[in-house]
Amino acid sequence: MNLARLKPGEKGRILSIGAIGPLKRRLMDMGVLVGEEVKVVKVAPMGDPIEVFIKSYNLSLRKNEAEGIAVEVLG
Amino acid sequence: MSSRTAVKEQQAPVTETATQRGTLRPVEKRTLTIAVAGNPNAGKSTLINAIAGSRLHVGNWPGVTVEKKEASFDYEGTRIRLVDLPGTYSLSPYTQEEIIARDYLVDERPDLILNVVDSTNLERNLYLTVQLMELGIPVVMALNIYDEAQSKGYRIDVAGMEKMLGIKVIPTSATKKSGLDQLLITAVATMEDLSAHVPHQLNYGEDIETATDFMAGILHHSHPALLERYPKRWLLLKLVEGDSNVRQTTNLNDEAQLGEALQHLKRAHGEDLEAVLAEVRYSLATGLTREVLQKPELPKTEITEKIDRIVLHRVFGIPIFLGAMWIMFKLTFDLSKPFADWIGAMISGPFKHWAEALLGLIHAPDWTVSLVTDGVIAGTGNVLVFVPMIFAMMFFITFLEGSGYMARAAFVMDRAMHSIGLHGKSFIPMLLGFGCNVPAIYATRTLENPRDKALTALLVPLMSCGARLPVYVVFIGAFFPTRGGTVLWSLYVMGILLAIMMGFIFKKTLFRGDAPMFIMELPPYRVPSLKSLMIHTWEKGKHFLVKAGTYILAVSIMVWFLLNLPWGVEHKRDSYLGQVGAVVAPALAPLGFGNWEASSSLIAGLVAKEIVVGTMGEIYVKKEAEKVAQKPTFIEDLQETGSGLAKAFREAGTNISSTFGISSISADEDAAKTAERSPLREELKKQFTPLAAYAFLVFVLLYMPCVVAAAAMVHEFGTWKWYGVAFGYQMVLAWSAAAIIYQGGRLLGLGG
Repeated sequence: MNLARLKPGEKGRILSIGAIGPLKRRLMDMGVLVGEEVKVVKVAPMGDPIEVFIKSYNLSLRKNEAEGIAVEVLG
Repeated sequence: MSSRTAVKEQQAPVTETATQRGTLRPVEKRTLTIAVAGNPNAGKSTLINAIAGSRLHVGNWPGVTVEKKEASFDYEGTRIRLVDLPGTYSLSPYTQEEIIARDYLVDERPDLILNVVDSTNLERNLYLTVQLMELGIPVVMALNIYDEAQSKGYRIDVAGMEKMLGIKVIPTSATKKSGLDQLLITAVATMEDLSAHVPHQLNYGEDIETATDFMAGILHHSHPALLERYPKRWLLLKLVEGDSNVRQTTNLNDEAQLGEALQHLKRAHGEDLEAVLAEVRYSLATGLTREVLQKPELPKTEITEKIDRIVLHRVFGIPIFLGAMWIMFKLTFDLSKPFADWIGAMISGPFKHWAEALLGLIHAPDWTVSLVTDGVIAGTGNVLVFVPMIFAMMFFITFLEGSGYMARAAFVMDRAMHSIGLHGKSFIPMLLGFGCNVPAIYATRTLENPRDKALTALLVPLMSCGARLPVYVVFIGAFFPTRGGTVLWSLYVMGILLAIMMGFIFKKTLFRGDAPMFIMELPPYRVPSLKSLMIHTWEKGKHFLVKAGTYILAVSIMVWFLLNLPWGVEHKRDSYLGQVGAVVAPALAPLGFGNWEASSSLIAGLVAKEIVVGTMGEIYVKKEAEKVAQKPTFIEDLQETGSGLAKAFREAGTNISSTFGISSISADEDAAKTAERSPLREELKKQFTPLAAYAFLVFVLLYMPCVVAAAAMVHEFGTWKWYGVAFGYQMVLAWSAAAIIYQGGRLLGLGG
């Protein structure tokens, strides 16, 4: 399961971040860390990017990037 | 520090004590350099505007297009120099902003870091604080947006925070101007004993601490100079992280012993030590937040969430966005147009008359009168008419950014823009381009990534601006009176389609490599402070006037020389412009308009594309006997100045209230203009075939950006490079498109 496949309102816990280098560091700097809880808030009207709630703020990222973030779905 | 700032300082209001001390012993006054650092959207800009206001000096960081704000002023007898660092989430070596911020902190060593923190988002903000604390520079924290945090029911243990971090923490609200004095007093007080305010050294865990201790020992023996040169803890942590910039500048790439220390860490924590450190720092930030922050049990539905439910709605999101953009577009151009018209009328009316009268008094020769009125004054007019538009555009863009809607606009549009290699935020500059390319190019500053910014600015000139419209209108009137709408529409669409095509081409050539990432915060909606809006708007307008104005004036005067020299030419054919036109003409022959008249007009269009029509009028239509009109008196001119301005205000008001029609894009001319242009139309019909006329319009749509757009590009990017690229590709594109249309049309038997 990855972050891009969660539906709005669904929550997950980050298992791994597939990206490397600057992209990974940028995600981590923004609080996207392994073990962190993340909730998908919205999908943009055209289907991409998505908005997620993490570390008590809202972040948007493209599905392409979200696909590299593995999550386990939380109930 | 520039001499201009120095002048400003003296004008800056100073408190009584400052004046006393300042006049008694000015030599002893010390300067406290404060670097202001913080996350984007933490209210840093508002805070600085509230503290320094009009004393701010806005420029660019050397070599990059990132804005640098600085202010120097006296406070309680201390001279304070504020340096605003770009807003960053971290101090990693990857984005331009982060590199600027860390280079400044590490190389310039300010006396104090003022860390602006968003109280409503402590955890992520403290992640940056943790990194700032590694630098060994005293830190004072502004716990900003404190009022909002309180109204949300957050309880923050300020004293506890001070104790844990070893720094002073001052709750502030920049928009309400509270806590600012306390902040400055605290900053000045730290000056008495800077070393007593160096923040605590946070514990990064046994493994990392052991490794850094071990490395410190090695460096102490082998590279003591490095430990002197850089903040020790920062350097050691960067070496653990494997920070590429630091390893390069310190030449510590091949230190075998250092490598051993890291091997141990890697065995325990995995290869990616950079990620390990990010995790450690975040866990410190998380731990701190847990200690000092108490949130209410049941959070209320926030206003931001409510607005987003509507604004980012799956169905209504796009219509709402387009509606908002339409209103902004309308306000930017229709609000400023009456004022631009008024300025234009003033310049070509009263000012010109006055200058003529003055020059007449001193018996200046005719050519001087013409140079001053048609060259200098008209050129100044060319600069000034843009000012209302730049002010209006800056105001709205700043409002969109400050309110938080800009990020939503990017969110809504990213999918469409990304497909042609652009960023969601590119949409707004592109849209503004239909009104005028100049504010559109300035609007690219909302794009953080230099690649996105340059690509957007390169494509903006393909958006058919309002100045091209008079050319279309005259030609459509002459050649396509029955199919005007279709022809006009085809030109706008062609511009957009070619922009998409060029976007693809640039993506594959000039901007090859990874598409930049789109990882963007959607900040809570906030009402931006009026003062901040005003300062930004004013700064941009002023810069345009001074910096861009110089180029535009120079080119206007140059074109005057081309048109009028050698002095006293009977026929425009013999002016320098005519001569240059004649040389260029053969190159335009394959496009169907290879004559000196057309090419001279196109060259004159460098000043502004609508000048193409004016020049054609001068060339094609023989001047009727000078109308013996009574020249208005000085008093009449003066009256006109006043009543014209009043009229501009009225019209601006009407334009806002009227919801229908965009006056800046419309193929209709007023009756007076139609009558004025009819001799030119008749003449054009003799000179062009309809096919050649259409090719000419396509050429006007696509060829080089006008000098004002050029000045904006050079000014915004600090280099001629992007203007050069734009000039080159647009010339090639314009020539090719016009040639394909003309030659293709002839093959299809469309005449020619």
